[in-house]
Amino acid sequence: MPRGVRTVDRSSVALTVALLALAVLWLSPIAWVVVTSLKPAPDIIRLPPEWIPWPPTGAHYHEVLLGSSRTARIGRAFVNSLVVAMGSVILVLATSAMAAYPLARMRFPGRDLVFVLLVGSLMIPNAVLLVPQYVLTQRLGWLSTYQGLIVPEAAMIFAFGVFLLRQFFVTMPRELEDAALIDGAGPWQVFSRIIIPLSQPVLAALAIFAFRSAWNDFLWPLIAVNKPEMFPLPVALALLRSAYSSESYGPIMAGAALSALPLLVVFVVANRRIVEGVRLSGLKG
Amino acid sequence: MSRQTRVAYAFLAPGLLLFAVYRLYPLLEGLRLSFTNARLGRASEQWIGFANYTRLLEDDRFHVSLWNTAFYTVASTLPILAVPLALALALNRGRLRTLLRSVFFFPFTLSVVTVGLAWLWLLDPVVGPFNYYLRRLGVPARSWLADPQTAMWTIILTTVWWVTGYYLVIYLAGLQDIPRDLYEAAALDGASGWRSFWAITLPLLRPVLLFVVVTHVIGSFQLFGQVFVLTGGGPGDATRTVVQHLYEAAFQNFFQFGAASAMAWVLFAVILAFSVLQFRLLRGHTEY
Repeated sequence: MPRGVRTVDRSSVALTVALLALAVLWLSPIAWVVVTSLKPAPDIIRLPPEWIPWPPTGAHYHEVLLGSSRTARIGRAFVNSLVVAMGSVILVLATSAMAAYPLARMRFPGRDLVFVLLVGSLMIPNAVLLVPQYVLTQRLGWLSTYQGLIVPEAAMIFAFGVFLLRQFFVTMPRELEDAALIDGAGPWQVFSRIIIPLSQPVLAALAIFAFRSAWNDFLWPLIAVNKPEMFPLPVALALLRSAYSSESYGPIMAGAALSALPLLVVFVVANRRIVEGVRLSGLKG
Repeated sequence: MSRQTRVAYAFLAPGLLLFAVYRLYPLLEGLRLSFTNARLGRASEQWIGFANYTRLLEDDRFHVSLWNTAFYTVASTLPILAVPLALALALNRGRLRTLLRSVFFFPFTLSVVTVGLAWLWLLDPVVGPFNYYLRRLGVPARSWLADPQTAMWTIILTTVWWVTGYYLVIYLAGLQDIPRDLYEAAALDGASGWRSFWAITLPLLRPVLLFVVVTHVIGSFQLFGQVFVLTGGGPGDATRTVVQHLYEAAFQNFFQFGAASAMAWVLFAVILAFSVLQFRLLRGHTEY
């Protein structure tokens, strides 16, 4: 049936072309951000829109990273966000891997209760905890500090991390553990020398998930930080907007492009891990 | 206590401490605060029973916020279900699956502020490209975010753009779990593609659809960032949301922690009610 085969081919080619066109459209808002950030100020508002910034200028990047004293510096906010996101990743990985290990591989009273409590907490909306979390952080003297951002961000992800890692730990063959125990290894050695090294893919997926969550969170730092030099990127960007919106979108778009950079790098390097992490996150339903 | 038990709880201790201090305690403390007149800086707070809750019954702006938030949640559910599903079905058949999946996923890696700023600029009523190209197509330019008729729909549009990639990946994984031979059997019986979509794909995707809807509902009822950046709750109160109302009550005007905690618990109750409803509607009989 040569004719039938050709129609199927043609429709699949048409579908691919349509999807490619949609993909270009889908990326155009991001392209527009980058294009705007590279244009000299007078060109930015010129119509019809110019999609190739030629000659490109780095002036807006220079301004938001180094020059401006009008708002929190984006360079400083970038570093703050990195510290908070990395700190939260480390705290999430350590606490949830340690908690998931006994939940997956030991028998002890209260195990099911702990697990149900953690999984049930995934249904708690973060916004509901906002006020008491603020009161608590204030009492601890942690407002406008790194720990005041890192610890709550990690707490938000912890239960999900336990759930994700437990799923993975449960499937590991018991013989590995038994062999080590016969050789006289304690539970900590089993955990650190066997379980953790064999779990690198799922740990990487969790790390990316936690990084994205802490890097992008807006509401908590908006209320927990009131010193400009401690603002993370989303808060600094929101303020940058009010500082510049009347004059030029250039610096705002430079800031927006910079904020997308770390996850773009992670995304290009570890695309499969991200997709895997999202796929696994769907299992919680 | 056996040795095994001690070891297990030693491993659990750091995580449970984190969880107890920053999840469990705030949950209960919030409930307690909602029955008090607590404010920032007030030395002694008093138990005032349900006064914060009864006051919410008279707070018109709270009602508007709740209505807007519910409207947003319901109105965005269909696009959030359908757009990524349509893309997933198309990607599953077409070529360049991995590349296209990455493209559609990319916006989801951005923060809500970055997304908001990008769209604010795109939608600029005078010099933004969105209106320019619409004008070229014969659609008159308008301030999509300053018009009460279109503001919330514009927020929905930007959110669909932002999160589609996330749900797309989940749908693609769900589609892969459907056995191929079901489709082959259906094709042998002469079923059209459309018919096997309704008879095979949709029923077997039900757990995935349930996950997407419940996740979406929990997230939408907490709508804040998009509104904060794009409209500030305006025009008027047309896009004001519950979390924005709560944020302003607790952290902008008078720091009314008691009243804001009552709002939080009303919101929690609404979210729970919606989630239970979704479970009822979509769970059905999923044994196969």
